[in-house]
Amino acid sequence: MMYARFGGDNKVERPIRLLRRAGGYGKDLIGPAAGAMAATVASTVARLASPLVIRLGIDKGVIDRDLRIITNATLILIAVLVVQYVSQRVSVYSVAWVAERYLRSMRVRVFRHLISLDMGFFGRSKTGVLVARMTSDIESLTEFANQGAVSVVSSVLMVTGVTGAMLLVDVTLAFSVLALMPLLIVMSLVFRRYADRAYQAIREQIGQVLGALQEGISGVRVVQAYTQEGRQAIEFGRVNQRYFEANLSAAKAIASYFPAVDLLASLGIALILFVGGSRVLDGDMSFGSLVAFLLYLGYFFEPIVQLSNVYNLLQAALAALSKLFGILDTRTAVPEVDRPTVLAEPVCGEVNFRGVSFGYDPETSVLEDIDLAIGCGERVAVVGETGGGKSTLAKLAVRFHDPTRGSVSIDGVDLRELSFAALRRHVALVPQEGYLFGGTLRDNLAFARPDISDEEIWSVCATMGIGDWVRGLPERLDTEVRERGSRLSSGERQLVALARALIADPALIVLDEATSNLDPETEARIEAALSVLFEGRTAMVIAHRLQTARRADRVVLVDGGRIVEEGTHDDLIARDGAYARLSEVWKGTGIAS
Amino acid sequence: MTTTLRDPAVRSGLRLLGRTLLQYRRESMFSVASALLWMTVVVLTPYLTKLVIDRAIDGEKREMLLPLVGLVVAAGVLKAVGIGGRRFFAFSLSYRAETDLRNRIFEHLQRLAFSFHDRVPTGELLARSSSDLSQVRLIFAMLPISTANLVMFVVVVIVLVALDPVLGLLSALTVPALLFLANRYARRVLKVSWDVQQRLADLSNVVEEVVAGVRVVKSYGQEDQEVGRLSRAANRIFTRTMDMLRLRSIYVPLFELIPAVATVLVVLVGGRRVVEGSMTLGDFVAFTQYLVALQFPLRITGWFFAELPRAAASAARVTDLLRTAPDIRDLDGATSLPDGPGDVRLTDVSFSYPDGPPVLDGVDLHIPGGSSVALVGSTGSGKTTLAYLLPRFYDPSNGSVRIDGIDITGVLIDDLRSEVAVVFEETFLFSATIGENIAFGNPDATEEQVRLAARLAQAHEFIADLEDGYETVVGERGYSMSGGQRQRIALARAILRDPRILILDDATSSVDAITEGEIRAALEQVMEGRTTIIIAHRTSTLTLADRVILLDDGKVVASGPHEELLASVPRYREVLAESGVFPADEGAP
Ligand SMILES: Nc1ncnc2c1ncn2[C@@H]1O[C@H](COP(=O)(O)OP(=O)(O)O)[C@@H](O)[C@H]1O
Ligand SMILES: Nc1ncnc2c1ncn2[C@@H]1O[C@H](COP(=O)(O)OP(=O)(O)O)[C@@H](O)[C@H]1O
Ligand SMILES: [Mg+2]
Ligand SMILES: [Mg+2]
Repeated sequence: MMYARFGGDNKVERPIRLLRRAGGYGKDLIGPAAGAMAATVASTVARLASPLVIRLGIDKGVIDRDLRIITNATLILIAVLVVQYVSQRVSVYSVAWVAERYLRSMRVRVFRHLISLDMGFFGRSKTGVLVARMTSDIESLTEFANQGAVSVVSSVLMVTGVTGAMLLVDVTLAFSVLALMPLLIVMSLVFRRYADRAYQAIREQIGQVLGALQEGISGVRVVQAYTQEGRQAIEFGRVNQRYFEANLSAAKAIASYFPAVDLLASLGIALILFVGGSRVLDGDMSFGSLVAFLLYLGYFFEPIVQLSNVYNLLQAALAALSKLFGILDTRTAVPEVDRPTVLAEPVCGEVNFRGVSFGYDPETSVLEDIDLAIGCGERVAVVGETGGGKSTLAKLAVRFHDPTRGSVSIDGVDLRELSFAALRRHVALVPQEGYLFGGTLRDNLAFARPDISDEEIWSVCATMGIGDWVRGLPERLDTEVRERGSRLSSGERQLVALARALIADPALIVLDEATSNLDPETEARIEAALSVLFEGRTAMVIAHRLQTARRADRVVLVDGGRIVEEGTHDDLIARDGAYARLSEVWKGTGIAS
Repeated sequence: MTTTLRDPAVRSGLRLLGRTLLQYRRESMFSVASALLWMTVVVLTPYLTKLVIDRAIDGEKREMLLPLVGLVVAAGVLKAVGIGGRRFFAFSLSYRAETDLRNRIFEHLQRLAFSFHDRVPTGELLARSSSDLSQVRLIFAMLPISTANLVMFVVVVIVLVALDPVLGLLSALTVPALLFLANRYARRVLKVSWDVQQRLADLSNVVEEVVAGVRVVKSYGQEDQEVGRLSRAANRIFTRTMDMLRLRSIYVPLFELIPAVATVLVVLVGGRRVVEGSMTLGDFVAFTQYLVALQFPLRITGWFFAELPRAAASAARVTDLLRTAPDIRDLDGATSLPDGPGDVRLTDVSFSYPDGPPVLDGVDLHIPGGSSVALVGSTGSGKTTLAYLLPRFYDPSNGSVRIDGIDITGVLIDDLRSEVAVVFEETFLFSATIGENIAFGNPDATEEQVRLAARLAQAHEFIADLEDGYETVVGERGYSMSGGQRQRIALARAILRDPRILILDDATSSVDAITEGEIRAALEQVMEGRTTIIIAHRTSTLTLADRVILLDDGKVVASGPHEELLASVPRYREVLAESGVFPADEGAP
């Protein structure tokens, strides 16, 4: 896949292909776009017509001293101006409408795809870079969409009209002007080579800038705690400087190209003056023809300069498009099956790992040949040293990743055979950090089931023993928790995240150290609540607490990517192996609580 | 809010534009000068052409043809130089300004206190430093050509008035008319532009938040819900942008129409006067030619007027941010923290977050230098908040915090924070190597020192096991490491800082028991002679501290050695769930 790894150096795709594809996304806008074009053509024609009318008024009216013609010309002029105003107004509005519509659908399209990608992708990509794709890149299309189309229409209209007129006046001269065109094309191609690189670099660097910015903001508390504000600013300045330099090299390309095009136009005029002048002097051409020709020449080169401007805008837009297509072309590593199997109701959440091996990158495996069956309604505690692979196991259970070998199934159905909707409906993972979205407490609690009633929310809160806490908040369920839940303490965030999972009402719940920031009292309360709420459901609980392990139906000890021991707490203690030793440590540290 | 050009925010935005321009005097001057050169040649070229036709061709002087055409070429070269210079300097001016402003925003953001970052979402800040800055940049890019056009406009109007006062004044009427329109347009479009920018920021916010929390979105399969949220945001951009463009579609064509109307008037009035004989034909033709020459510059000016309000709105949003003063800053006459053992004394400290209930309520606490305390309390009891007062992440609403006898509000912040190190509850790792992350607070630390700190935090072993060791790059938010590994890196970072006061806020919550036992042994060494505040719930960790402080309801309710509290304070037993009030605890099946 050409853009599989977006963000790196992309090979430049053929502009025509990019454009065709970009056009393909706007198929539903063809009608309005045609209307907008018509209005643009009308306004261009009107704008070109008014000098002609003025000329007519002067030639026929003023020079011939005919008041009637002057009056008529004025009236016509007024009419033309009215047409010009109306059509221009329609044109500006309708072109913008089409452009904004297009951008809107592009935003949604890219985002929809982005969010469908696998967790591996998100692990590799910086948040800020993805924000840049969704904001800066799309915004940078605006200019081309709004100005490009209009300029192209009026310029092409003028160039073709004037070329025809020039050919009519004098074929030889016309060809000597047209002979300059290959030069223009060569210049444009050279420009493209530089501009292309420069614009790609600009898009790349704006991603880096927003990436650095986003990281600088997310980590600002650590930065201040360690008084590194100055150094951070210097480092950001460096990234920012690279963005500046990318822009500067685009500026250099532009600052060479435009003067070159303009110089070509001046040379064209000089050429006509010289060749045409000589021919007039030789008597091969009439003086009038030369004057007329020169007149047209002005109208010929102005739109050409305009077109080169559009060409430049186009290069910038293509760079942004190729970044956006880069995202659209990224395939998810965890695809949804075409014809999903339907789980038989009621779903009880029986999980089965069969010969599962997995590694985040193919070379180093993190899990090795895991066999684990968790029966209906069973509660299994997963314990073991940090880095042993417990979280990885949890992620596989909810299909954040697919195993490299073996299979994971729920109620006997391979996760890969399920639709995401069904999978997510019945399986939920609660990670350690309670990530909350900006919005009210209710928004967050009802995240998985937006249409749930307040009563139901309150009842889950009551069972969890956080009802009083919620009632104590200034606006209860309507309390705004702010971005990342910054209004709450980290333990409170974990509580909300847990309540959110319980409200989601899954058949299988996976808790990955989801209570680690709670005080033991609250934690015990939560564990008790889980027993109530999880009657007849399946739970996989990762924790570093003896209590959790003791309460579980079965304990699984994971170490070095393998299951080393498995059985009930008492069995394992009796076996006097690794788990028994761990349990001793727990007792000693008071983690037993 | 910002509805007129007289609005203070907009004014300071415009002032920002002006100041930036002054700052880049050289670029501004060069670009305007190039634009003027270009403009002059543009005005002169028709005259040169006329010269060739009249002198050489019509005058049949063949020997004049080549030199005169050479003159045309020379003019072409000059014009090209003018264009190149104008473009280059305009670009470099505008990007320099943008880059510089972005650096200033970043620097400023790094200094704004926690309370600001609690309140303002990241996506919003990203938008102000990208989308808003591009609008500001655009206006700088347009400035040279607009200035040149303005100059040309004035010159032409003067020429016109000199040629024929009546007609001249008639066409000069375009100036007030244009200004009137531009002002009206600006008034109407300012608020709308502000909104458009705000809605772009809202969208950026949605994206940032969803990407950062993609794990939750996926856990609950709520992709569609989030796409809905985004598409609503995109829709809100669309509708407001169309409001803006509707205004533009009304006014921008008017900017072009006004001069055209002037031309009509001139043709009508002037034509009549020529017919009546009160004006010569030559004067009239020259006059109309100049008038036609005015069209282009006026179009550019109109374009400038169309963009200016949006840029002003964006500049106002940028200054709005830059003018926000940090809540926590050095007092005048702040001093550095003199050497001392790290004695901490909180006197009658109360604190509440803005628009929140009191969190701390008259806390009195003394931690003798070199001793250690453990803070215990239920979730949300204010432990973290209390810890945050020491490095002045927040200032207490009442009461005072003293370190070694000095009120910390009078201490230089950098000084204070280099003596108070915090390991946060939630680990943040920068996307950099592990080594760089550990040395974050001490960029000059030697490799040995980094390793030693890592050893003490029980991180060295697993780091050494990695293929690239300390050179391993960790992803954003330290994605590619397990929670316990990340916490140990953060711990090493604080240890390396070698502070007078060390605060561990639940810093080992996701470290497994065996590793924690090892960390504990090392911690004893680290805590030796250092004031340490530990927030934790594990008995083993609590016993590390000389004394335990029980926080409840915003007050210190008990204080003493762990065993003592356990024996005498029921609430303490409850919090540690050692009271047996939860039968479920014992009733494990
Ligand atoms: N996203 C990731 N990319 C690469 N490696 C990872 C990623 N997440 C975890 N790992 C590695 O996989 C191993 C197991 O991690 P994890 O499952 O999180 O352990 P645990 O939860 O048991 O502490 C660790 O060595 C860790 O460094
Ligand atoms: N940034 C904040 N803005 C408003 N309220 C906050 C903020 N941080 C914490 N709180 C509130 O203050 C109280 C104490 O929080 P905290 O000190 O984090 O508790 P903990 O003892 O769990 O560390 C909690 O009720 C919490 O909701
Ligand atoms: Mg883990
Ligand atoms: Mg806390």
